[in-house]
Amino acid sequence: MNKVIGRYLNWGLSVLVGIGIFLFWYVAYPHALSYQEQYQLFLWTWDYFVERVSLPGGFVDWLGEFIVQFYYIEWLGTLLLALLFVALQRLTLRLLTHGNNPHVLFRTQGTVPMCLSLVPVALVLWLMGDINVLLSLPVAIVLALALACLRLSKRLSWVDFIILPIAYWLIGPVVWLYVIIRVIQLGWEHLWTAGWLVAVQLMVYAWLLPQWPLQQAMTGLNYYRIPLHYPQWSGYDKDMYELIRLDYLVRNERWDEIVKRAGKYQVKAPFWSNCVNLALSQKRLLADRMFDFYQSGADALIMPRTRDLTSMLPSAEAFWRLGMVNSAQRYMFDTQESILNGRKSGRCTKRIAECMIVNGHYQTAAKQLDLLKKSLFYRFWAKEAEAMMKDEATINAHPIYGKLRQLRYKDNFLYNYDEIDKMFGLLFMNNQENKMALDYFMAQMLLKGNLQGFQQYMGAVQQYGGYRQMPLGYQDVMHCIQMQGKVPGSPYAKYVQQMAERRAER
Amino acid sequence: MKVVGYWLLAIGCWLLASCTSVPEHPTKVDRLPEIYPDYIGVTIPADIAPLNFNFADEMIDGMDVVIKGSKGGTLHAQGDYADFDIDDWHQLTEQNQGGELKVTVCVKKDGRWTQYQDFSIFVSSESLDDWGLTYRRIKPGYEVGGDIGIYQRDIHTFDEYAILTETVVPGRCFNCHTANRTNPNRITLQMRGEGGGTLIQKDGRQKWIETKTDITKAAGSYSYWHPQGDYVAMAVNSVHQSFFTGTGQRIEVYHKFSDVEVLDTRSNELILSPLLFTDDLEIFPAFSADGRYIYYSSSKSCRVPAEYEKVKCSLCRIAFDAEKGAFGETVDTLLNGPATDQSYVLARPSYDGRWLMYCVSSRGNFPVSQNDADLWLMDLKTGESRELKEVNSPQSESYHNWSENSRWFVFASKREDGMYTKLYLASIDEQGRVSKPFLLPQRHPRQYYLEMMDAYNCPDFTRIKVELDAHEAYRQVFDNKREGVRIKN
Repeated sequence: MNKVIGRYLNWGLSVLVGIGIFLFWYVAYPHALSYQEQYQLFLWTWDYFVERVSLPGGFVDWLGEFIVQFYYIEWLGTLLLALLFVALQRLTLRLLTHGNNPHVLFRTQGTVPMCLSLVPVALVLWLMGDINVLLSLPVAIVLALALACLRLSKRLSWVDFIILPIAYWLIGPVVWLYVIIRVIQLGWEHLWTAGWLVAVQLMVYAWLLPQWPLQQAMTGLNYYRIPLHYPQWSGYDKDMYELIRLDYLVRNERWDEIVKRAGKYQVKAPFWSNCVNLALSQKRLLADRMFDFYQSGADALIMPRTRDLTSMLPSAEAFWRLGMVNSAQRYMFDTQESILNGRKSGRCTKRIAECMIVNGHYQTAAKQLDLLKKSLFYRFWAKEAEAMMKDEATINAHPIYGKLRQLRYKDNFLYNYDEIDKMFGLLFMNNQENKMALDYFMAQMLLKGNLQGFQQYMGAVQQYGGYRQMPLGYQDVMHCIQMQGKVPGSPYAKYVQQMAERRAER
Repeated sequence: MKVVGYWLLAIGCWLLASCTSVPEHPTKVDRLPEIYPDYIGVTIPADIAPLNFNFADEMIDGMDVVIKGSKGGTLHAQGDYADFDIDDWHQLTEQNQGGELKVTVCVKKDGRWTQYQDFSIFVSSESLDDWGLTYRRIKPGYEVGGDIGIYQRDIHTFDEYAILTETVVPGRCFNCHTANRTNPNRITLQMRGEGGGTLIQKDGRQKWIETKTDITKAAGSYSYWHPQGDYVAMAVNSVHQSFFTGTGQRIEVYHKFSDVEVLDTRSNELILSPLLFTDDLEIFPAFSADGRYIYYSSSKSCRVPAEYEKVKCSLCRIAFDAEKGAFGETVDTLLNGPATDQSYVLARPSYDGRWLMYCVSSRGNFPVSQNDADLWLMDLKTGESRELKEVNSPQSESYHNWSENSRWFVFASKREDGMYTKLYLASIDEQGRVSKPFLLPQRHPRQYYLEMMDAYNCPDFTRIKVELDAHEAYRQVFDNKREGVRIKN
């Protein structure tokens, strides 16, 4: 009877782990999954597989990317991730209780080993809070544990001479976990495997990795997104994950949610301002409510070029919707090239292809589409886009691409970030239907403190803005101008004061 | 047992025959086949890698290609695309050196064979003795280099090898790898960013130096070796980019300042001349074949980026005395940019001293970013120049370099799509006649070039395979120990 209860308890715990992990990602952190998915582009080709497995640890890298591609469909990706964690828990429990030698820790599957089996789950979950930890690391841990679960008796310990090089090649240096477990299982005389693994790693480094540093050959080429850096035990930093969430909401055009969240919690960063302002503009609330929220300064609408894989994304999304197609392409291209492990981004590649289509650069667009066609979740779109490229009229009639062709600049001149307000103004002059450009133009002048320019173009707002009455935000600014900033409770006056304080601090 | 063997052989032959469908009664059409890459009428060196090609129309059932040499020999390929055996190809091209190959293309579509007009591939009598090409592969992006790598390619096969890639020096941008007249016993390259520096590798020994000084303001780049192998001419400059709003040219590359200097690699001394350290922008130096001159480009200083259209480079020359390690006293202007409203950049003298190849564009000093950049050729005997219409296209041609025997040159062109530069090779004879260029062969050309997301730049020939210890480069870059330089008095 106790055995039966124990077995139910045993499996019940695993089911609970699965449900818990599923809810953790699906309910609390779906944006974290979207973040991981957007920095890779898994291709269903033999070449892609060979490219991955031609490096030590490449197989888990491939497996990790294989799972991550399913994050595109949140419930499916989360389910696979939950199963991975269940595997981690089950294997840990098995190693704690089913050892094939006297060194096994527990003879029965009681409460203690079951609780202990949750420790790796918790640790890996915490580790994955570091956004640069790739799924290849948990996958490698699971495979190393699975390998350790193979019932090899002490008599067959020599098999490790063959297993270790293969295992190192497939799962990378996490195979050390296997070595440690085997030493625990089989005793100190099995320590020779540690020496053998070091030798294997050094030989691989010397002969097969001419373009990789020793440090990475020893610690892993593909567990962490930033080369020569290692996972931080930082957990789930609230502000960072809030920014990731906003980017996720921008990606999915969930503007109302962004505005709602912005009212509850703010992160004092240009990235946050970019996302919130973009959402406000899409709801045509920028003129009314912009200064109700934190504004980082002149970079609150569009960030200057920044060499990292995240900062420019909301700006790129704003450029795209404004009709600044070249700038959207540039920011997406540079974002993609800032992925330090050299991976492509499905999200960026798709947007780059769209920009090229709008600009009529069909040959280069075809290259991007060819790539996307080899993926699972971008394939359908890529095929549609490819078909569309054969007919100029279809593109012109497309609700987004056709519109952007009307909105983009007609004159050719050099982009200038320092004069981004003028660029918005020119964009509006180019097509006076471009109300987002008008809103951004006015907003940028306010962010820069160019009140003279703001007043000068108020007429344009009245004529072309499509507002039934002057937006509340603009009313506030005009009031501030009249009262020379002395307007208690004025959001714009507060912003101007904050900017002055920041300048004074510098 | 013997009987079983015969049976197996017979079955094998039958299976083989059933897989090969010889074009029967093809419909002959009076037009050339549309193939990718366009190898129709190109001139190639003997024992280059096979010129595999695809039919332009992807929706075919298969193709059958027969090549007959004017001096004998045939070659046959059948399949989705023309894929030739390397050894057979080499045998045929060597047998037909100085002759031509007649190519018959039959294409099967919708169950019917069509035979196109034959075309010729000319096999030059001039050999191309270099082992291969070196080049940098970089994403054709904007301000982030991404996954950069310097590679070398055996031009007799399809094999490519990494020389130095981003993986071994992550986060670093490196460029301007230069060998001495195709000889990699002298290599220099510049690495930018944190821990940047200039690599000088002589006879396999790496030396990383910091060429920036208070006077020269920046590290040396755009390098060129003196034929003697001890001096390196460099430009010191500050390179920037701006971006267009239109749908044509994407990027304008410009320099805020630029000067030319020579580094004596024996003593780490920088040799400067007041004629090359002016308010003007001196850029892209190259030693003449005999090492007695340095060719370079010079433009008036403009307020860039606002005045980007005013950047017009003249092509100049200044004497250099390798014995004394000193510049001459005067500058000769060979081609006057402002006077002709053109920009002359990237002079590359042939190693036999006969020709000077350079880029001409309407403006600027970075031709790869200029859509209208074309290659021109100056006869150094007569001083006459002409446009190389045989190789130019409406898109940018640039980054040209000579083979060791100066009978071949390689260049980068954006002719296919205006964005991804690819490498082309062409021959030049004693009279300066230039052949139609051919795209660097690949085993499966359409798939390769479609999937290739990198642009090629800085190509050069290399007479032997380059040996560079990337592990050692990593150690030296991350040790961050740099030999300094001093200004020669």
